[in-house]
Amino acid sequence: MILQRTLTTLGARSMAVARDAGGVFVLLLEVLRSLVPPSMDGRELMRNLYKMGYRSVPIVVLTALFVGALMVVQLAAFVKQFGATALVGWGTGYAVFREVGPILIGLMFSGRVGANNTAELATMTVTDQIDGLQALAIDPIRYLVVPRVLAMIVCLVALTVIGDLVALIGAMAMSQVVLDIHPLTLWYSLVDNLSTADFLHGVYKSMVFGAAIALSSCYFGLTVKGGAVGVGRAVNAAVVGAAVSICFLDFLMTYLTA
Amino acid sequence: MALVPRRSLTSLGARTLDLVDAVTDLVRVAAGTVSGAVFTYWRGTRPKGEIARQMHAIGNRSLLFVMVTLGFVGMVMVYQTCLLTTQVVDGRGQVGAQFARLLVLDVGPSLTAMMLATRVGAGIAAEIGSMKVTEQIDALRMSAVTPVDYLIVPRFFACVLMTVVLSIFGMAASWAAGGLTGYYSFQINPRTFFDLSMVAPAHVVLGMTKAVAYGAAIPIVAGWCGLRARGSSEGVGAATTAAVIGSSFAVIVLDFIISAIGLIFWGAGL
Amino acid sequence: MIALRGLHKAFGGRPVLAGVDLEVSRGEVLFVIGTSGVGKSVTIKHLVGLLRVDAGEIWLDGARIDALPERAYAAIRRRVAMVFQSSTLFDSMTIAENVALPLRKHGRLRMAEALADARRRLVEVGLGEFADRWPAELSDGMRKRAAIARALTLDPEVVLFDEPTTGLDPINARRVDRLIRALADERGVTAIVVSHDLASIFSTADRIAFLYQGGVRMCGTPAEVQASADPVVQQFITGRSSGPMETPGF
Repeated sequence: MILQRTLTTLGARSMAVARDAGGVFVLLLEVLRSLVPPSMDGRELMRNLYKMGYRSVPIVVLTALFVGALMVVQLAAFVKQFGATALVGWGTGYAVFREVGPILIGLMFSGRVGANNTAELATMTVTDQIDGLQALAIDPIRYLVVPRVLAMIVCLVALTVIGDLVALIGAMAMSQVVLDIHPLTLWYSLVDNLSTADFLHGVYKSMVFGAAIALSSCYFGLTVKGGAVGVGRAVNAAVVGAAVSICFLDFLMTYLTA
Repeated sequence: MALVPRRSLTSLGARTLDLVDAVTDLVRVAAGTVSGAVFTYWRGTRPKGEIARQMHAIGNRSLLFVMVTLGFVGMVMVYQTCLLTTQVVDGRGQVGAQFARLLVLDVGPSLTAMMLATRVGAGIAAEIGSMKVTEQIDALRMSAVTPVDYLIVPRFFACVLMTVVLSIFGMAASWAAGGLTGYYSFQINPRTFFDLSMVAPAHVVLGMTKAVAYGAAIPIVAGWCGLRARGSSEGVGAATTAAVIGSSFAVIVLDFIISAIGLIFWGAGL
Repeated sequence: MIALRGLHKAFGGRPVLAGVDLEVSRGEVLFVIGTSGVGKSVTIKHLVGLLRVDAGEIWLDGARIDALPERAYAAIRRRVAMVFQSSTLFDSMTIAENVALPLRKHGRLRMAEALADARRRLVEVGLGEFADRWPAELSDGMRKRAAIARALTLDPEVVLFDEPTTGLDPINARRVDRLIRALADERGVTAIVVSHDLASIFSTADRIAFLYQGGVRMCGTPAEVQASADPVVQQFITGRSSGPMETPGF
């Protein structure tokens, strides 16, 4: 009895997940098809670049400062125990560039920009503005989705680069305070041991994360049903979808580019 | 010319006032939640079975999400660490023990909470925000029910408990997935990998303290955002967005604070 | 010019349209009337491909259009414009930018030219001084007129109006009625208007189609409708609450 109910729930939920994943994939194909011939609404693109990029800088800088400091706090016990001060820059840089930076900034970006975008598109959908666009013979994919996907990829890459650097500043400040390591020591430990490949590894990831966040947020925004309640639910689904995609794609990219 | 600085000063003043107003609100909601949880909730006419229902909504319905994401993160962490350790000397034997320590001390609770901040934070804000814009909150107040007691306190209890529980499930998923990665990609013997010798009681205490703190922060921040919703569907969307970003940020800040306190307390022993 | 033959449409297994037949000739103002939820808006949304038929045919100028792929509808949507009940002005643009959007996208005008043209068109509907306001700052009646100006930018042959006077005060409602009448009389535009506003129906329509229980119950001139002996039609136009008509929920 309980088994049957559990299986039914599990089946229904897998179906829903499969439907949404399929929907996101179809949206990806439609976006790709809209890129030939390449034409884009420049105004929509600029508006979104400003809104998604420039205005996310404060939250990304704050997050990155804390994350950098946090990395040092985590390493501190280990470093004190073994006196491995030369490794702090290396360890922090490796973790921040390759994993922590792209993932945490990606999650924050999804929470701020992805969620915002879902809310905007969902509001447009429930107030029939998408139908209005179609009735004006304007393709919503080409006009709304394509510039947003592009803007989110560009913004997330830029923000990840900024965040990586700010996290290093946070790490330098923290290691000076708790471990008495000079910022330059940390810097040399980093540049001596890490290559551009480590840095680029994170940049590639942020590119893919940006696309995933954009597609998830646009998909759930455009398929919303049911008024104000529906808008909230769509935002919820979009951020969850983005978080799962980020973790899954991170795994995939780590394997593929290792 | 003279108008420009005056206008920007006015807008700065207005924004400062908004900020003060928002922070006052947050403090009020937080204080109301805590005092409600300790004093009034158990005496008042509380909705029956609400905590259990919220535990189901927050816990059961996030279980798969948390285990899947933490599982992937576990695989990635082990993979990257192994790449790093095999570069210089072969330190693969230490990877499992260090991974377990880091998982219990920080990554397990923190990442679980980051995931819950998106899923549960957004859910709470969406629900309470929709009630606010459809004037249901006002209806509650008209029938002499405190919205914080009625809406946030049960979610508070449920979320604190469920964050702890889900953290443990998340850690387990992460640990298992990490072990599999170690075995298949780097030939680490599971017996070497699943090694808890580096995990001290202090780590467990600190990790669980974090889980409790995150679990308390998420419903307070999300409920606060929901109660501040204004307008219609745009308002609910904005509240939900604010809740996700606010509770994620709260998790990161709390992580930093509690980790720093732990370091001061235990120092090198951690 | 437009013909619907045996239109069927169901939502989630519940049939809404069960065989709608309708003919519209060039330059006429046809009102589609009926109670709420009877499928008036659903019917006209099929004409521009926002909804797809379950069964039946839709013809536009001798060409069948109900089975076209989504991309092919772009050409039809330039000829057949639609004004939605909720106006659907884009929140992120000023009124002038809203009207300029289709000009910019289809007329290949540059932003400055499109905006200038948009302002001219807004003056025509009496909104000249509100061109730079945001949609949220305008009253419902003004938003409706801005939406009509936007729908007319591509000089369509047919304009579909979904409840254009619902939610407007009587003065604004009559203003919209006159706008629709003038479109037909002065520019030869065909108008299909979904409405249950009796005052605008009888002052504006050339012909009236009465939708009831998934089909067209009667179609004729206002005079014919008023003279109809059908008790259902009589109940609707006199607004009696009791009668043979079945309204859902009561």
